[in-house]
Amino acid sequence: MIAVLLLSLALQVSPELRERVEAGLKAKAAGDLDRAIREFTRVVELAPALPAAHVNLGAVYFEKKDYSAAIPPLRKALELNADLPAAHQMLGAALLSQGFAMEAIPHLEKVQSDDLLGVALLEAGRVRESVDHLEAALQKRPNDPDLLYYLARAHELLSRQLHRRLQSEHADSARAEQLQGETLAASGDYSAAQKHFRAALEKRPDLRGVHHALGELLLESGDYERAEAEFRAEARLTPGSAVTAYKLGVTLLHRGILQEAISELKRSNTLQPGMPETELELGRALHAAGEAEAAEHWLRKALQHESSGSLAASAHFLLAEIYRKQGRVAEADQEMKLFQRQRK
Amino acid sequence: MKWTTLIGLILALPAHETPAGVAFVHQHSPTTQKYLIETMGGGVALLDYNNDKRLDLFFVNGGKLNDPQTLPADYARTDPQYWNRLYRQNPDGSFTDVTAEAGLSKAGNNYGMGVAVGDYDNDGFPDLYVTNFGSNVLYRNNGDGTFTDVTSEAGVAAGGWSVSAGFLDYDNDGRLDLFVSRYLDWNFDRNVLCGTPFHTYCPPTRYQGTANVLFHNEGNGRFRDVSVLSGIASVKGKGMGVAFNDYDGDGFADIFVSNDGMEQYLFRNRGDGRFEELALEAGVAFADDGKSFSGMGVSFADYDNDGRPDIAVTNLALEKYALYRNEGSRFSYASLRTGLAGVAARSSGWGVGLYDFDNDGWKDLFVAQSHALDNVERVHSGLRYRERPALYRYADGRFERFDIAKMPPVAGRGAAFGDINNDGAIDSVIAVLGGQPLVYFNRPNANHWLILELVGRRSNRSGIGATVRVGNQWAYTTTTGSYLSASDSRVHFGLGKESRVTVEILWPSRKRQTVRDVAANQILTVEEPE
Repeated sequence: MIAVLLLSLALQVSPELRERVEAGLKAKAAGDLDRAIREFTRVVELAPALPAAHVNLGAVYFEKKDYSAAIPPLRKALELNADLPAAHQMLGAALLSQGFAMEAIPHLEKVQSDDLLGVALLEAGRVRESVDHLEAALQKRPNDPDLLYYLARAHELLSRQLHRRLQSEHADSARAEQLQGETLAASGDYSAAQKHFRAALEKRPDLRGVHHALGELLLESGDYERAEAEFRAEARLTPGSAVTAYKLGVTLLHRGILQEAISELKRSNTLQPGMPETELELGRALHAAGEAEAAEHWLRKALQHESSGSLAASAHFLLAEIYRKQGRVAEADQEMKLFQRQRK
Repeated sequence: MKWTTLIGLILALPAHETPAGVAFVHQHSPTTQKYLIETMGGGVALLDYNNDKRLDLFFVNGGKLNDPQTLPADYARTDPQYWNRLYRQNPDGSFTDVTAEAGLSKAGNNYGMGVAVGDYDNDGFPDLYVTNFGSNVLYRNNGDGTFTDVTSEAGVAAGGWSVSAGFLDYDNDGRLDLFVSRYLDWNFDRNVLCGTPFHTYCPPTRYQGTANVLFHNEGNGRFRDVSVLSGIASVKGKGMGVAFNDYDGDGFADIFVSNDGMEQYLFRNRGDGRFEELALEAGVAFADDGKSFSGMGVSFADYDNDGRPDIAVTNLALEKYALYRNEGSRFSYASLRTGLAGVAARSSGWGVGLYDFDNDGWKDLFVAQSHALDNVERVHSGLRYRERPALYRYADGRFERFDIAKMPPVAGRGAAFGDINNDGAIDSVIAVLGGQPLVYFNRPNANHWLILELVGRRSNRSGIGATVRVGNQWAYTTTTGSYLSASDSRVHFGLGKESRVTVEILWPSRKRQTVRDVAANQILTVEEPE
């Protein structure tokens, strides 16, 4: 806009220049970008010292997404006049698109373009700074998938950097062992992960979360006896953890220690009410223990909180079993129908 | 668990022994194509083929596969390394390979799976039915130590991919009929490669299921395919194991088929020649939470001594072996409350049997174990492909696990049960995929026992389908169950401290028979009254 204004002032001295500028603007407005480029190239030839001439040429290339061609005229414009925000914006974006993130940053900083600046900082390796800008941009455009992607990547990189720092500067620490264990567990190497978790606990027996992580690995491997021991240890360290109480309850259920399973699942529900997974497992444990009425109550609650999907299918199946055993045939049939529907 | 009980059990179950003369090595011909048949075979039977009162061994072999397989397939079953094998037990407990002289070296051009045993012609000698990927084979026992392939005249080739099979008299007409479970609608040219970056055996969900087959024994050496007429073919499944028992006490044999990766099937015998599949209504289709599992082997027997046959189904690791307790009109899922789910969760099971291994009066669960995927460690580092067979001992309402001492981890598949050395303790034979079988001789302890050999008159000759009660224990006479395998047809009871008992038999003919004051620690032949 400013460039066009400045150019208009200059047109007073040259009729051809005025003609070319008008033709260029008209072509650009009509979407004939190649003609606009021809016209503005001529304008630059006629008025090479005019920053606006270069800006307009760069702007057309930018609009054409020919970023490599946009960069030279925009650079020239800023050589002639460093105070052109639109030129900074376009040059920063064009440089970033070509992978020149470091070079793009000062231009984008000039115009405080949070989104592009965040990306540029991220790509330049200045991850921590990028997070602030990307967060700010996301506040304005919360559903932008590009922003979500870059912010997720920034957090991941930041996390990796911190992990590396922990591993290099505190390699012998319990936290380094814990982190290594978590990384190995995520990659599926359960036996190696367990070794690191055990090492962490040797160094700091009261480290929270490690017994839980070990319990998770053992639970997923079907080693319920040892999983139970780990969840119990975690529950002693963090008695307020609903998820540990839940996992302990599930483990006890798998082991057939039903009354204790029910007790732990109820404790989990007290710590964090309204979790359909807890309610389902409570219903399951109560059903296995022969407490049909109580089981029905919790299964109904689970369905209130999650009425579709595999959890709901399980709840309907268990309800059908309860009703069939009680001779409530019509209700059993209805629940079985709902089970079949959710299974599909 | 009391220490005394534990010590007794360890003493009773020594390390395995390979009996002299048993040189069988199962050939499954693994390929990089991961053909599913490669991981499914390994049937075994315990039978007394020559009526010398000593159990003999029969192993089903796989066959040769090319990598990739060229069609038409030649499984090289004429090459001795791919033969099925029959081993006759000698008086000294050693075995002699009698395959060739028995006329069993011709397996046909197929890939072997399992075996069923039954005296279908009521001549007093057990016959053999071998299931295959390809045509199945019925060998009639000639009674002179030889067998004759009578598949064609009997009309029981079936075809497709047969897995387990069993003889039963579903209409109580005194002649043994034949049920065949079938797995998938699969062939080499429709094989799918699964897994990346490395291949694994595909889950059964990648293929369509197929119908099981029921043959009615017409009594003239011929069978009639009544799969459709009986309602058996009304549902398609992915059948693996099969077992029979009269779960509703109506005097007619019902059929349970374990299916892989879908709901299980319970075919209730209506008594009029027709069956209805009602696993869902009976509560045996899924696990307690409505999840399906990879049903493999099955045992259909009364584990809790309440007179009602229960059902145990083995499956893959983390799915938890399913135990369904018969509560009269229907079953309830008992894996959780008996502790079986907890102690078996890491294991994958195939052949399975509910027998009283320590003669304490309660049946225990013996399982041949191994994962289906030979590279499962790469998929889940917490699991193992080769596993030790395990005994899940039942006491005080719960199952406790015992990995039997010094047993090697193997790729266990079929398992057959019976008292091989007639010492009153149930032994087991495990077929090992691609390996030598394991034979476990169970040592008797101080507990008493009784083995009954039934001889039917109005009922079928071997008394298949008879229900026998001793004290508070019930047993169903059958050779069928487990996976791909056939067990001793004699009925075994552990009697604990009881030295004399009363035996009550309900024959398939509906005839009731009571034999009083029977001394323990003997093998007793009981004939059906005329």
